[in-house]
Amino acid sequence: MYQAYIGLEIHIQLLTKSKVFCSCRAQFGDEPNTNVCPVCMGYPGVLPALNEEAVRMGYVVARALNCTLSRRTVFARKNYFYPDMPKNYQISQYDDPIGRDGYIDIEIGGRIKRVRVHEVHLEEDAGKMIHVGDASLCDDNRAGTPLLEIVTEPDMESGEEAEALIQEFRRMVRYLGVCDGNMEEGSLRCDANVSVNEAGKGLGTKVEIKNLNSSRFVRLALDHEIERQKALLEEGRQVVQETRLWNENRDVTESMRTKESAHDYRYFPEPDLPPFVPDEAFFAQVEASLVELPLARKQRFLSDYGISVQQADFLIEEKARADFFEEAVRRGVAPSTAAAWLAGDVAKLLNRYRVELDASPLTMDRFVLLMELLQKGEIHGRIAKQVLSAVFEEDKDPSRIIEEKGWRQLSEEELVKVVDEVITAHPKAVEQVKGGEEKPVGFLMGQVMARTAGRAHPEKTREVLLSRIRGGEG
Amino acid sequence: MDLLDGGAKEETYLSKLKERNGEIGAFLSLDAARGKALSSGDGVLRGLSFGVKDNIAVEGFPLTCASRILQDLVSPYTATAVRRLLEQGAVVVGKTNLDEFGMGSSCDMSALGRTNNPWDLSRVAGGSSGGSAAAVSAGMVPFALGSDTGGSVRQPAAFCGVYGLKPTYGVVSRFGLVAYASSLEVIGAVAMDLDLLETVFEVMRGEDERDHSSLDPEEDECEVRRIAVLTGELGLEAPVARAYERAQEALKDLGFQLVEVGLPELEYAVPAYYTIATAEASANLARYTGIRYGHRPMWSENPQELMRKARSEGFGPEVKLRILLGTFVLRSGFQDRYYHKAQRVRTLIRRSLEQVFSSADVLLMPVFPTLPFPHGEGGLSSFQQKMADRFTTTANLAGVPALAVPVGREEGLPVGVQVMAPPFGEQRLFQVARAYRRVYTPEHPVAYPPLWS
Ligand SMILES: [Zn+2]
Repeated sequence: MYQAYIGLEIHIQLLTKSKVFCSCRAQFGDEPNTNVCPVCMGYPGVLPALNEEAVRMGYVVARALNCTLSRRTVFARKNYFYPDMPKNYQISQYDDPIGRDGYIDIEIGGRIKRVRVHEVHLEEDAGKMIHVGDASLCDDNRAGTPLLEIVTEPDMESGEEAEALIQEFRRMVRYLGVCDGNMEEGSLRCDANVSVNEAGKGLGTKVEIKNLNSSRFVRLALDHEIERQKALLEEGRQVVQETRLWNENRDVTESMRTKESAHDYRYFPEPDLPPFVPDEAFFAQVEASLVELPLARKQRFLSDYGISVQQADFLIEEKARADFFEEAVRRGVAPSTAAAWLAGDVAKLLNRYRVELDASPLTMDRFVLLMELLQKGEIHGRIAKQVLSAVFEEDKDPSRIIEEKGWRQLSEEELVKVVDEVITAHPKAVEQVKGGEEKPVGFLMGQVMARTAGRAHPEKTREVLLSRIRGGEG
Repeated sequence: MDLLDGGAKEETYLSKLKERNGEIGAFLSLDAARGKALSSGDGVLRGLSFGVKDNIAVEGFPLTCASRILQDLVSPYTATAVRRLLEQGAVVVGKTNLDEFGMGSSCDMSALGRTNNPWDLSRVAGGSSGGSAAAVSAGMVPFALGSDTGGSVRQPAAFCGVYGLKPTYGVVSRFGLVAYASSLEVIGAVAMDLDLLETVFEVMRGEDERDHSSLDPEEDECEVRRIAVLTGELGLEAPVARAYERAQEALKDLGFQLVEVGLPELEYAVPAYYTIATAEASANLARYTGIRYGHRPMWSENPQELMRKARSEGFGPEVKLRILLGTFVLRSGFQDRYYHKAQRVRTLIRRSLEQVFSSADVLLMPVFPTLPFPHGEGGLSSFQQKMADRFTTTANLAGVPALAVPVGREEGLPVGVQVMAPPFGEQRLFQVARAYRRVYTPEHPVAYPPLWS
C-alpha cells in the first residue's frame, strides 16, 4: 500500500491598482513595456516603496486561511539570475511572512477535509520573456506586480484533492476580491510537491512539478506523477529529487532539473524596506474585509433554505450570485423558487449570453418582480420563461415586456369565454371526454392555448374545461 | 558667481573649470548648460555650482559609477537629495569621479579616469568620493555631493583638506543613489565652507516617500561640552598621530572636556563591514546584465551568455572580487559563519557607541591612519587600504553621523579628524567644527584659488 503526499505552492496576482513597489499600473494585457518605470525596471539607484494595499490584501488572505498573523512582517531578498527578473533578485519574504500555520477546508466526496497552510507571503512578480524566432524579447509590464504565495503542508493524497483545493481557494480569493483567479492568464498559478511512500512510512523523495496552469492539469499531472513514482518504487527503484514540468500535450511530467542544479537563493533581509508593523487600525481594516467564505455559505444555504446540493453549488460559485439569491429571498421570493430559477433558466441564459449575473440585464428588481408575478399567478411558468428570455434579449422590465407582448395571463372570465368557444367548435371531442376518454382533454387544451397564444394558465384551463364539459351535463 | 545669471564671468568660470579639470581629473563629465536647465527657484543656493558623484542620478547626465558597464548610461531621473538642491537654485555642473561603484579608498579604482590630489598631483585624492573632494579642494565648485558607505566621504575629505559630512543613516533619502551596500550607505557632502555644508545638509535632509528607510528626526538641541577621545594603540602614521594629538589639545583649549575611551570592537569593524557590504553588493550589482541598460556585448548566443559576457567585460577587478566575496558569505550553510556573525558584530559596535554617547556628547577619532598616499606601486595595497578603513566603517555600521574636519597640514598635506555623534546629532558635529574653526580654517592649495567668487 502506497500513500501520496501532495503540497501546493499557489501564487496569486493581487488586484491592486498599482504595482507592489512603484506606482505603475498593475494590469494584464496592456501593450508590452507600457507599464514600466525606473523602479520596476530595476534602474541603478532606485528604491522600492511598499504598496500598503498589497500588504492589506495579503493579510486578508492569511486571515481567511486561519493563519497566525504577523505583528511585524519582514521583507527579504531572494537572489537568482534570470533575464526576466529586472534586479536579478526578487523582494520576497523569508523569516517573518505575513501569516503562518493556518488551514483551509475543502469538500471532497461530500466530506470535509482540512489541509494545513504552512505560510502566506508577499513578493513581486517577474517580467515575461517572449521568444520570437532567434530573438528574445522582454516585457516588463508584469515585473513588480504583487504576488501572494500560499504554501500548504503535504496534506493532500490525490490529484482530485489538489484540484478541489485549487477550486476552493480560487472561489475564496474571488470572494475576498483580492484576485480574479484566472489561471489561463496566469493570475493564479500553481506548483506542486509530491512524494510517494509505503503507507505509514512518512514522506518519500520530493518531486516538484511546475507549469500547472489549470485546475484540471493539477489533477492530471499529480495523478500521473503519483503513478510514475509508485511504478518506480514497485520496481525497487529510487525516485530522484528533481523539478519536473507538466507537458500538457503529451499528458506526462518531464524532468526539468535535478537537485544538483537547484538554486541557492542566498536570502538576506531587504535593507531598502523597513519591517511592516501593522497597527490596530490596519488589523481592523483586515477584519472588515472578511466575508463569509464559499464553503461555509454553501453549508448554510443547504441547512437554511432547503435547496438541492446542485443549486447550492451553483449559487455559491460566485459571491455576487449568492448575494443575489439571498437578496431576492430577503425581498420575499421563496428560497426554493429563487434557487430553482437562478440555477435553472437564469443559469442557462447567463451561459448563452456569456455574462455574469451582476453584469446582466436581469437586475434584482426585475427578478423579484418576475417571481412575484409568478407566485401571484398573474403569469404561469411558461410565460415566465418567455419573459425571462425577453429580459435578456431586450433589457426591459418584465411588466413592460408582458404589456408590450400581450402576455398577460387570461382572467377567469376571459378563459371561460374561450373554453366555451372551443367546446362549441369541437363537439366530437367533447363527447369523447364525456365518455371518459383522457386524450381529447389535451387536444381541447391545445386549442385553448392556440386561441390565446399561450396566455392561459394550463392547470386552470384544464380545470375550467372539465368543469364546463361535465357541468354542462349536469 | 551666480550661474543662473549667465554672462561673461560665467564663461570664464566654465573655461577655467575645464582647464583645471584637465590637471585634477575631478569630473568625469561637465555640462553646466544641462545643469542650468534643471535648476529652478530663488532658494538659498541660487546660482551656486556643485558637483555630483557619478553614482547619484541627475536626469540627463551620465550615471557611470566609474564603471565600463554603465559607461554610456544616461540617467532618466533625478535623485531626491539632488532634486531638493535644484529646487533651492543650485546648479549641477558635472559628475565627479569615484572608485568603481564606490568600492575603494583611493579613487584609483575608477575605470574611467584618474583623480589627483590638488595638494600633490602624484598622490591620490582618496575614495571613493575622491572626485567630489578634489573638486572642492581645487576650488572648482563650492560644494559637491558624495556617498559614504564605509568612509567614502570622510576619507577623501581628510585627504583633500575639506569638510566631509556623513549624515545619520536614513536622514537623507537614498533614492537615486546607485546602491552598493544599502544598509550602510548614505548621501553626504563636502565643502570648504562649514556654513554652506550645513545649509546643503539642511536642504537635502528629510523623509522621502520614495525611500521607505528615510525619516525626519526631531531637532537635537544638545550643547556639546564633553568630547570622548579614542586613545590607545591606534596604529597611526607619525604625522597623522601628531595632527590628532594637536587637535585634542586645541579642543581642550577651546573649553571642551575630553574623556578618553577605548573601543576594542574596532578590531572587528573592518571584517564585519566587508562581510555585510559585499553581501549586499552581490545582490545590488546583480542587475547589471546588459539586458535593460548599460554595456552590451557585441555578440552572444543566448540571454545567459549575454549576462555573463556583459559582467565579465564590464566590471573591474575590485568589483568582481567583492561580488564573489558577497556571494560566498551568503551561501546557504555559510551564513552563520560569516553574514550573521558580522551582523552580531554590528550590533556590538552600535551598543558600545551608545555606551560612549551615554557619557560624552560626541566622539573624536582619526579618519585614516595615513596621509594621502601616492598613486600606484608606491601607495597602499588594496588589502592595506581595506584594513585602514577601521575608523570610518564604525559610523556606517552604527548608522551614526560623522564629520571629517580639516585640522591642519603635515608635510604639506592635509590631515583631518572625525567627530561622531549619536543618531540625528548632526548639529553637535557642526558645533565642534565651528569651534575648531577659530584655531584652523581650511584653505585651498595655493595653485587652485576658488574659481567661482
Ligand atoms: Zn514601475
